[in-house]
Amino acid sequence: MKSLIPRLIRRLFGGIIMILAVASFTFFLIHLIPGNPALSKLTSLEMSGVQPRQAELEVSAIYGFLPHQPLYIQYLQYIWQLLHLNLGKSIMYAGISVSHLLLLALPWTVFTVTAGIIVSFVVGILAGVLIAVYRDRWFGNGITLFSTFLHGIPQLIMALLLAYLLTTIWPIFPYGSPYKASMTPGFTLPFIGSLIFHAILPVAAYAISSYGGWALTMKSSVVSVLGDDFILASELRGLKPRIRIGYIARNAILPLFTTLTLSIGFMFGGSVFIEQIFDYRGLGYMLITATTNLDYPLMAGAFLIITTAVIVANILADFLYTAIDPRIRVQ
Amino acid sequence: MGSVAVEPAQASALDRDVACRVRGLTVTYKVDNRELSALRDVDLDIRQGQITAVIGESGSGKSTLALALMNAVSKPGRIAAGKVTYRDLGEVTAMDSERLRRARGRSLSMVFQASQNSLNPLTRVGAQLLDLARSHDMRDPRAVLREAAALAERMSLDADRVLTSYQHQLSGGMRQRVGIIFGLVLKPQVLLLDEPTTALDVLSQSSVLEIVRSIQRERQLTTVLITHDMGVVAELADRVVVLYAGRVVEEAPTTELIRHPRHPYTRALIQAIPRLTGDPSLARPLEGQPPSLAAIPTTGCVFRGRCPHRMEVCETSTPGISQVSDTDHRYACHWEGAAND
Repeated sequence: MKSLIPRLIRRLFGGIIMILAVASFTFFLIHLIPGNPALSKLTSLEMSGVQPRQAELEVSAIYGFLPHQPLYIQYLQYIWQLLHLNLGKSIMYAGISVSHLLLLALPWTVFTVTAGIIVSFVVGILAGVLIAVYRDRWFGNGITLFSTFLHGIPQLIMALLLAYLLTTIWPIFPYGSPYKASMTPGFTLPFIGSLIFHAILPVAAYAISSYGGWALTMKSSVVSVLGDDFILASELRGLKPRIRIGYIARNAILPLFTTLTLSIGFMFGGSVFIEQIFDYRGLGYMLITATTNLDYPLMAGAFLIITTAVIVANILADFLYTAIDPRIRVQ
Repeated sequence: MGSVAVEPAQASALDRDVACRVRGLTVTYKVDNRELSALRDVDLDIRQGQITAVIGESGSGKSTLALALMNAVSKPGRIAAGKVTYRDLGEVTAMDSERLRRARGRSLSMVFQASQNSLNPLTRVGAQLLDLARSHDMRDPRAVLREAAALAERMSLDADRVLTSYQHQLSGGMRQRVGIIFGLVLKPQVLLLDEPTTALDVLSQSSVLEIVRSIQRERQLTTVLITHDMGVVAELADRVVVLYAGRVVEEAPTTELIRHPRHPYTRALIQAIPRLTGDPSLARPLEGQPPSLAAIPTTGCVFRGRCPHRMEVCETSTPGISQVSDTDHRYACHWEGAAND
């Protein structure tokens, strides 16, 4: 395990480079938007009679750079602010810093996305094992068909369907906000209960639309592991069924971790739809509101934070993989 | 002794020098809704404390026989008829799955053809030895590790290194030896070796065989050696069973069989071995291919398609077992020439 620390440092370094790349990308994206929002903001401030100096300060506070300076200076100013964790100020929530807004929204998305991934992964793996074991019978075929069907429905449609059926037609589950508005946040049982109750539908939307993929992958993985020589060997050595199932499960889950890494990004992307549909105030919701209200600093910040979350999740998944597969540990 | 109760009726049914008796064993595989037999009416006595070799070409049913001896034939195959009875365990073909599990790996152990891949790639060798010990309810799993370490040293492996290694950190020859350690560590009564050295180079092969031989002698271990290599048979086995197309065609003590083969197939096998001295071109390979599972004739002699002494009777009647007088040399052939050396 000696190689772990240098590897972690390498991965973190790579992650930072990627974050900077995405930051640069969003910077130039904002510049490519027709009409140059920063410049038009400056002009409109000056037109409304604000002192030029005052107007410049204000635009600089919002965007992190001044629009009439040379592009590379603007870019350096933006990156410099970023390194100080200053993401500028929101336009629609006038005067509130973007990082503050994002930090308020981030936990909700991380919470629902993580829960969604865990639920879909666990359910998918169990379903996959069932399909593999009962693959010659109608029971297995039934689960396969069902999983394939659900897998084909996009998250967006699934979320709409759940919201329509379970909050409107049969109002079983609450709609909107992560917890009951009348409650004071705290580490109390009713509050946590309310959190979970409010999160059920978004989490279900993530899970239902992606567990089928896990189930089908797990099935083929289990079937291929069952054909491996060491499984026959463990049977002929009279290992207890419990130990044999452990051998099968660990070997079969392994290939799924690669896909897990990819799915993290996909899930965060899905939060844009799901949070909007359930009016759940997380990052995805923030991103779509920022976009519709042309709140560029907030938009850029949301991009950046989603990127960071995906990169961090990838690094975590990578190390998890190393922990369970000795073959990829560097000697 | 194994944890499985000995049934006195069956135990006394076997002669004192017979460790395992196979009677009328027929194993079929279901292919396209047809039941094809890979083994047919196999009768066999495996002698206590001896090495019995089973020799045959690929497709002769050798590996199926090894699995059937542990009642481990898996779908689409099944044991369609016959019994396999061990002196110390009783009839394995009649055991429920839990008794069978307890017998496997403990009393009956097997070293696989694919022994190189017989380990779980995700855990260390030592941990898997502990899994084995726990599965068979050993009182002191650590003692199993010590025994394994002793066996490893004996096979000139660095015990500490091997027990703390993962499969991928070991070479092919080392894995094969580890496979043999798994086979021997719980001190089984019967050891089945299914082509234990196929994947090894000649040097590792002979050193592995030497170790097996010395441990077998020391423990008086009843051993069944499945192989296609007449050289290995000559070096190790006390008795030889020749299998062709799922039938036993000849059975004799090793020296007797090599000096006086009776069945035309055995004669051909021995003639195919190149001599160390003399003209190598004297070695004559056996022409043709063994029949595929679907093409094995159900009546008559299974070898007739390749037999130089083929007669009309071979088409219609399955040859019975003839015994060479005053010996335990048996063969199944119609040809009168088989009776003479």
